[in-house]
Amino acid sequence: MNEQIIWIVLKRLRTPFLVIIITFAISILGLVLIPGTDNNGNPYQMTFFDAFYFVTYMASTIGFGEAPYTFNYEQRMWVSFAVYFTVIGWFYGIGAIVSLIQDEALRKALSTNSFRNQVKHINKPFYIILGYNSITKSIIDRLNGRDYRVVVLDKDDKKIDELILENFYPDVPAFVGDATNQKMLKIAGIHQKNCAGIISLFEDDMVNSKIATISKLLNKKLDIIVKATSQQQLEHFRSMDLKHVKNPFDIISKRIYYGITAPHIWLLEMWMYGHILKLKKRDHFPQGKYIIYGNGRMGKAIKEGLEKAGVEYVIKDFDSQKYIQDKNTTIFGDDDDMESLLKLGVKESSCIIAATQNDLLNLTILNKAKQLNPKIFTMARENALDDLNIFQASKINKIYIVEKILADATYNYIARPLADLFIQEARKKDDEWAEVIVHMLNNITGMNPMYFETRLNDDNAYALTLELQEGENITLADLRRSRADRNELLHIVFLLLKRGDEVYLMPDSRMKLEIGDELLIVSDEENYDDFEYIVNNIYELEYVLGCATS
Amino acid sequence: MNMHKIMSGSFFILAMTVNFGFFYGDPTILIEHSSYELFAAIIVNLIATVLKLGDRTQLGAVLLATSIVADIQLIASATVWAFAMYVMSSVGTEAITAIISLSGGALLANIVSVILFIGDTLKSKR
Repeated sequence: MNEQIIWIVLKRLRTPFLVIIITFAISILGLVLIPGTDNNGNPYQMTFFDAFYFVTYMASTIGFGEAPYTFNYEQRMWVSFAVYFTVIGWFYGIGAIVSLIQDEALRKALSTNSFRNQVKHINKPFYIILGYNSITKSIIDRLNGRDYRVVVLDKDDKKIDELILENFYPDVPAFVGDATNQKMLKIAGIHQKNCAGIISLFEDDMVNSKIATISKLLNKKLDIIVKATSQQQLEHFRSMDLKHVKNPFDIISKRIYYGITAPHIWLLEMWMYGHILKLKKRDHFPQGKYIIYGNGRMGKAIKEGLEKAGVEYVIKDFDSQKYIQDKNTTIFGDDDDMESLLKLGVKESSCIIAATQNDLLNLTILNKAKQLNPKIFTMARENALDDLNIFQASKINKIYIVEKILADATYNYIARPLADLFIQEARKKDDEWAEVIVHMLNNITGMNPMYFETRLNDDNAYALTLELQEGENITLADLRRSRADRNELLHIVFLLLKRGDEVYLMPDSRMKLEIGDELLIVSDEENYDDFEYIVNNIYELEYVLGCATS
Repeated sequence: MNMHKIMSGSFFILAMTVNFGFFYGDPTILIEHSSYELFAAIIVNLIATVLKLGDRTQLGAVLLATSIVADIQLIASATVWAFAMYVMSSVGTEAITAIISLSGGALLANIVSVILFIGDTLKSKR
């Protein structure tokens, strides 16, 4: 129990206690002073104990009758006064205690306390997520309970109620509190040893920067993941030595660049985010002129990507709020609009991108463009996640959901660090390399391979670490043998090996393994199960290795 | 000077003086000690205790502790009296000395709290 709560309770109980003591004292004293008459008519004086006994049961309205002898009229007059007097005292006392339970300050102190305890009892590494919304919800959904736990702070108590109703398992401790407040961050466990990091993806760059600064001061070892939407902000965060700055618009810009210049690298990246590993016809970005509608943060990011790819484009300044105010509609496409589309050259263009902040406008812009030029490739920005169905139904070639991109990137960074690393490394290669990799993966593991990350240590690869400790030479190729028949190969590919700070992309199969190596493995469920058996079971491993040495 | 300070200060001193009034006299003769004074001492002590509830300062906590000690002693004294009178049906010398010495202990606790209270008051004066 927190000290503060005890003090609040005690202070509030002061007056009710006083009232009860005084009413009791006066009633007892009166009974002692008034002379009584016993059963034989002799006068007697009540002792303090008699009076105390009588008042105790009278005041609490239990009532046993008159003791020790039947009262005379003087006593009865006093008792009738005392009944009302003490009962009022009791009721006041009970009322005060009830209202104390309902007291806002006390409730707040109690819930702060229980939140603090919940956080304290988390024994896995955990992330503090600031702000609860659809982005952070999807991060919580995927992250919570697997390798990490999550703690949430939000200013708005409705959001916290919403979170509580979600019934996450394992439980997500959540509390109403200002994320820029140091005290709240401390309560949320920023100083705790197992606090892995803090995730701040607020829309407002200023808030993110404030949080990053405070968190950095409070705990240097913390992994701080922040969102930045402008170049200056990005540089500011870099200067603060934050490595994990997530800029959704930057990601979109890069995706467009790679989509146009190196589609297989793009494909590998998208596959890491759940796309199937096959370049479909509609995934190809067209060559030719591009039209961008909307010169906001998204429009500028697309512009950057196109410029880098060397594609011809026009960008149209389009303020969605002003448009809605001026025309009083969210449907794009009156004569003026058609004319401006034609002026931008919609008939000669190969692609149109609607990047305004209004979903309906984005949809209608693309519809009108399609009417004028049925062959045009369409891309849209989607702002609100709940409109997903309309967007899917309207046959847009590519949809960018800023929130989803941000959530995916954050999740991959935290829970799949090797996949994140792979994307970075792959970007340094050229498209031919990527094409070879894609074909190889398709040949070995099929169209829709899964990827797994593992670290070779006692927990994940018991048998293998035993062998390695004995000084055995084990190569990556040895681990690819099937446990059913050691001359057969498992359908798995080692995509990336990380040893300390060194990263080996597509490691050589003759490479010798060391304890602590991290592997990014592409496979299907069945083959990966086999792999896990081999590295964990001594007999399986010896069978597989026996072939290698014989 | 605030009202609450005056109230709690006066109750602390009153608790001590009333208790002294009960304690003063031959410790073997019960008639020299009034049961009304014991009653008053108990009530005043309880009030002094309640007035210190919820005081977060260091001194407040110590004062609360001393007056809880005084309460326990005085209530024990009254309990011994009632027990001797009704259960043993005679108040012998042993019971009387126990009653008086228990209240003597409470008096010590009262004196301690008054000294602390005075000390704090003097310290706060510049």
